[in-house]
Amino acid sequence: MLYRVMDASELPKLIDAFMESYEVIAPVQSGRSVAFEPITSFDQIVLDYPTTLTSLKKYLLPPRETLFEFSVDDADITDYALEIPPRVLFGAHACDINALNNLDLVFEDARYPDPYYEAHRAATVIIGINCMPTETCFCHLLDADEVRSGYDLFLQDLGDRYLISIGSVEAANILEAACDLREATDEDRRQFRRLTRERQEAFSPDIPDIQEIPMLMDAFHKDAFWEELGGRCLSCTACSAVCPTCYCFDIQDSLDPDGATGKRERVLDACTSPQFAQVAGGHNFREGGRERVRHRMYHKLNGFNSKYGRYLCVGCGRCVRACKADISPIEVLRFFDQKEARDA
Amino acid sequence: MSEANRIPKVVFAGFASCFGCQINITNKEEHLMDVLGQIDLQYWQLTSSDPMPEEFDVAVIEGALTTEEAVRRARDLRERANAVITIGACAATSGIPGMATEDYDGRRGSVYGKALPDVVAGGVVPQAVHDVIDVDFEVPCCPVDPYAFVEVLQHALYGSNIYRKSSTLCGECKNNERGCFYGRSTLCLGLVTRSGCGAKCPNLGRPCNGCAGLSPDANVDQARAVAERAGVGADALTQALRMFNQPERIG
Repeated sequence: MLYRVMDASELPKLIDAFMESYEVIAPVQSGRSVAFEPITSFDQIVLDYPTTLTSLKKYLLPPRETLFEFSVDDADITDYALEIPPRVLFGAHACDINALNNLDLVFEDARYPDPYYEAHRAATVIIGINCMPTETCFCHLLDADEVRSGYDLFLQDLGDRYLISIGSVEAANILEAACDLREATDEDRRQFRRLTRERQEAFSPDIPDIQEIPMLMDAFHKDAFWEELGGRCLSCTACSAVCPTCYCFDIQDSLDPDGATGKRERVLDACTSPQFAQVAGGHNFREGGRERVRHRMYHKLNGFNSKYGRYLCVGCGRCVRACKADISPIEVLRFFDQKEARDA
Repeated sequence: MSEANRIPKVVFAGFASCFGCQINITNKEEHLMDVLGQIDLQYWQLTSSDPMPEEFDVAVIEGALTTEEAVRRARDLRERANAVITIGACAATSGIPGMATEDYDGRRGSVYGKALPDVVAGGVVPQAVHDVIDVDFEVPCCPVDPYAFVEVLQHALYGSNIYRKSSTLCGECKNNERGCFYGRSTLCLGLVTRSGCGAKCPNLGRPCNGCAGLSPDANVDQARAVAERAGVGADALTQALRMFNQPERIG
């Protein structure tokens, strides 16, 4: 990895340089929260932002995406030509880059690569930025607070300057052409270490650090806790809508108003939706909130690990705020914590 | 023309409602002729005073059933139609007319006194169409979305692989990047209202008033708890639900 240091005042130049040939997406104020949206000027960017309402997933796996178009009479299929502008996702936090890395594992699987996802990903440059945890952040408990790959540039704010990790030649060329860079000094490295420690110590102590989560998920699979947690579920699917790693989808064909042509779409679905596990004939494999909520938590904290060796949940805390019924992985961690206390 | 290619005969019937849904399904001007080209429209009071034909394939019904005659007519439509589509909240949940459900006799008395005019003498407690007859397809909301109607009509005519979900509204609302009304101590019925409308009202800055109807999987007890915690009050949520959902459905 290559590192360079740049004065903070250089940052607008970097953004301007990218805006010349890329659509730049960045965190901007949206009502009371912050959202990733296309920007037209550096001034719109909220650099020091809390977690956004929804994630960057929408730029790689849109909630609704056309796969192809067809005509009814001759069943002729037109491959849908994805026209994705070269795009910069600026200001991604570590958890969100780790989330995209998880999506890559699924959609860029060499055996079943997803051409739509790949088209989005190939057109996307990712520029990360460091952050301080909010009260609902628990990325550090799920090994997602550091980002070791999956970005083109990652900016560490050292106060009046940035320590930049350079992850791709494409971004390095633009950075070097637009900005005044220098080598990192010992003082830069000390400052980086200080700030990293500060960040590590800023996570909420109210969220318990639990070891062996995947194993505990199996051990307490039948615990009454799941009935209580799932019984609260509103079946609203807000959790998976805001989740940066919920990627399950439905395939739907719809006709144009004339009934002569139509399109096949991929529409993001949610395992907390009551019909998600319903099959032909009407049987539903996960009929109640208990089964559905438990299933979702299992995929996040257990199932994905078995296959990919890492948590699917990145601890971004979006579902913690989106769920009005207070269902979240944090509640699962607290359950394990209390279980230990009760059984002691 | 073979039986398979025969253009389906369609009739529209209006019961207790504002007829706004029948108007709104025409609000897709550039596609209206394309849609009408797929059906043989045989009867529609809004366009012609020709009488209803004896035979037809699809009956599209707007409105709640509020009289004995309406109940009879709905049964008759069901007997003759291969498919029944209801449009709008009044037909789906008894909607606005349904607000008269609680203390029905008392409410009628307060409006008409003891001498009921003949025209309302055969009144019955407002009922959703599916309370009286089997309904094959439903286009929810007040008013219906014109494109949602086309989608359902095409589903009835040609079939579809789109399964109607019972999840409630908040997921669709989040996709619109909207913060939650409950964070602002404002009542919103999206917690228990069936999704599918795209959360249009919250996207325009107005809380959901439940016109898509209570989801069959709604967790009203939990929604009441949410409303209580948010300082809105559990009873305020139940009361608001009654605009489009009657107490026996709310639980």
